[in-house]
Amino acid sequence: MSTPTMTFHPQPQPGTPTPWAFPAPQRLTLANGLTVLHCDRPGQQLVAVEVLLDAPLAAEPPGLDGVATLLARAFNEGTDTLTAEEFAAELERAGATMDAHADHPCLRVVLDVPASRLERGLTLLADALRAPALPADEIERLVANRLDEIVHEQANPARRAAKALYAELFDAADRLSRPRAGSAETVRGIDRAAVQAFYAAHVRPSTATLVIVGDLTGVDLPALLESTLGRWTGEKAEPGTTTPVTADDRGRVVIVDRPGSVQTQVLIGRIGPDRHDPSWAAQILGTYCLGGTLTSRLDRVLREEKGYTYGVRAFAQPLRSDAQGTGRALLAISGSVDTASTAPALADTWTILRTLAAEGLTDSEREEAVQFMVGVAPLKYETAGSVAGTLADQVEQQLPDDFQAKVYQQLAALSTEEATTAVVAAFPPERLVTVLVGDASVIAEDVKALGIGEVTVVS
Amino acid sequence: MANPAAEATSTGGTGAPIAITEHRLANGLRVVLSEDHLTPVAAVCLWYDVGSRHEVKGRTGLAHLFEHLMFQGSANVSGNGHFELVQGAGGSLNGTTSFERTNYFETMPAHQLELALWLEADRMGSLLAALDETSMENQRDVVKNERRQRYDNVPYGTALEKLTALAYPEGHPYHHTPIGSMADLDAATLADAQEFFRTYYAPNNAVLSVVGDIDLEQTIAWVEKYFGSIPEHHGKQPPRDGTLPDTMGGELREELHEEVPSRALMSAYRLPHDGTREADAADLALTVLGSGESSRLYNRLVRRDRTAVSAGFGLLRLAGAPSLGWLDVKSSGEATIAQIDQAIDEELARFAADGPTAEELERAQAQIEREWLDRLTTVAGRADELCRYAVLFGDPKLVNGALGRVLDVTADEVRAVAAARLRPDNRAVLVYEPTTDATETEEDAA
Repeated sequence: MSTPTMTFHPQPQPGTPTPWAFPAPQRLTLANGLTVLHCDRPGQQLVAVEVLLDAPLAAEPPGLDGVATLLARAFNEGTDTLTAEEFAAELERAGATMDAHADHPCLRVVLDVPASRLERGLTLLADALRAPALPADEIERLVANRLDEIVHEQANPARRAAKALYAELFDAADRLSRPRAGSAETVRGIDRAAVQAFYAAHVRPSTATLVIVGDLTGVDLPALLESTLGRWTGEKAEPGTTTPVTADDRGRVVIVDRPGSVQTQVLIGRIGPDRHDPSWAAQILGTYCLGGTLTSRLDRVLREEKGYTYGVRAFAQPLRSDAQGTGRALLAISGSVDTASTAPALADTWTILRTLAAEGLTDSEREEAVQFMVGVAPLKYETAGSVAGTLADQVEQQLPDDFQAKVYQQLAALSTEEATTAVVAAFPPERLVTVLVGDASVIAEDVKALGIGEVTVVS
Repeated sequence: MANPAAEATSTGGTGAPIAITEHRLANGLRVVLSEDHLTPVAAVCLWYDVGSRHEVKGRTGLAHLFEHLMFQGSANVSGNGHFELVQGAGGSLNGTTSFERTNYFETMPAHQLELALWLEADRMGSLLAALDETSMENQRDVVKNERRQRYDNVPYGTALEKLTALAYPEGHPYHHTPIGSMADLDAATLADAQEFFRTYYAPNNAVLSVVGDIDLEQTIAWVEKYFGSIPEHHGKQPPRDGTLPDTMGGELREELHEEVPSRALMSAYRLPHDGTREADAADLALTVLGSGESSRLYNRLVRRDRTAVSAGFGLLRLAGAPSLGWLDVKSSGEATIAQIDQAIDEELARFAADGPTAEELERAQAQIEREWLDRLTTVAGRADELCRYAVLFGDPKLVNGALGRVLDVTADEVRAVAAARLRPDNRAVLVYEPTTDATETEEDAA
């Protein structure tokens, strides 16, 4: 029996696009000095709230790496009126979630709450920031949990690769070189007094910013915020300053031995321009062409031609940034390949980078990438959470509120040559630090033979 | 059409009903449309009624491998053209395979909707014109690397696979997971893939939903134009019978000595089928017992006993076989599995006797409501749910009562399902004991 056929039609042409722009937030300041960015998104029934606290990891006292993370986690462990269990129960009763995490630029507390229970959610958030109980026994438990977590991280190839890359790139004196949530030695030394002292030194409304996005129809926002977050008080303080980011990007290879691994986790990185640099838009465009999706240059070969991997991505991720332009982003290529394909995959990666430098991107690559990056924006920012996250990133990196909106305009205007220049500058084959987490006894010799830098094996 | 979200503020956060229009083409393709003009985007979602439960012995993983092949081109689309065209139009796309279905989705800027429909129709009607040995070999390698990355090279990575194999007996259609075994992935042939397509990828075995900033008349006209001439075919056999007794009748336990960072206890309880009131009651029971930081097991194991670093229950809802209640506990420090076992059994017995308190039930319902809002907040999430209710339960309109049905469940119903199902003699248990022996690896990973 022959296969029945269908009627084919020519590929359809697009209709007329509906104009869309990245939402512009409005600002206000509460009486306690808290800066607020708000953005009404009708229909978004889950309201997203992010609070940025000026408590960067670099502010952790020497030897107490992890105290910011423990404070972040302790925000969920009760207030002046609620025990830890009661606080968790009240959040859940409001249908809300509250999570906090500490990163190099600041400590962020994120609340998601249905619009119908916004006031209750904001009250709990405000209480956590204003009067966290920081109970000694719960902090002792959080310390023990963090020590357990470190053991789990050691067993995870992606986490282990990141830890090794940061330790290679950054000077040991720079907080960037060490795990964000602390190591076993430093975490063991953290107690309630240390967490309390870090809270007292760095958590105050006058240096904090709150971002709120969602369906705020019918909400008197200034009044609602004053009656909740407005109750949080604290001494005035100057915002902290950041130190410039530098890194050692001499080309070299570090193999983290993980005997018996069936795949090698690959993380290749260095540092480069952050969002303050005029080349940022060109850099993200060129980086997308290199490794943004499975039709980009890396996956076209490593996945779709060779089948070495489920997928490899290239990306730029800001580390620390400030308005003076002393910040930098991590530029990296990340993925995992089956053990036997480790050296061949690296060889292909270097060939792809050298070809890119020699021949540049094509106009059609640039065109497709721009169409994707600009076209996908309404989709990417459909939810309140995604808008709030980007607005918070802008605040954290000391960028103007219309930064993301302007990036979309810049992307559309960039030439192929500008994108090529930026991505070639971002990924010079001789200035890349390669971390491989895998079975050294199988992969080390072949990797040495590639000539992509001196190879060190660590366990 | 009323703007669904604009009314939603007055409904206490539960959202207004989703406006739904249904059609059926002459070739059997079911079409579900829903209009929402808040954002200029449109989601296309296509569910094929085929999953790993339809696979036969020796060919596990074929449904998922086939899903990859659906992105390798068709009569009018070059290899990778599907990705290139959708992304080049500013859209995002993917596909996933589960026990019960395979789904494909594109979310597009609204003015590019027609392209997504054309692409889905082209591969539904003409995939075999492009499918060849080269893409078969390549995607086999990609899927094997997916398996290594997600399951074989991470601690506890094969737990789901092992526990599923314990929970559903040998020969049961849900005994194996969608990723399949390395040996079966190696054994699959191009002829298998072609036969799979001819059997399952028929318009009469699929539901198409389109949600977002669309014109209903124009959209159904496009659907008719592109999909209408694809011939129906009827070679599909129903999946093997998944009927099992309500309970397992005894605990099944396996202890593994592997190179993992800590002791762990994972178990799967046999629960009511998805789509029943009892499944909603079970969802609430698992939420009270093990979802979030105010749950009973979190409070007992993590906060009070301090024997665990994490403890959580999840519900794997299944319509064609009993659902699974999924418990995952990672131990803390030197705590033993015996201590954890005992605490869990005490908490389950207490819950079976007393049920949830009024406050616990209220919290669990609020959490489920939030998760539901989260799922329906995007056009893609809504499109997927419409397909789910159409494929698994025959009626996409059931989506509108789904949350109300959960909120209607009483404390005594929650207690009753816990008493009947959350018991030691109705579970499969996997225990991990860490070993430092670095030479021990998965046998299928060599």
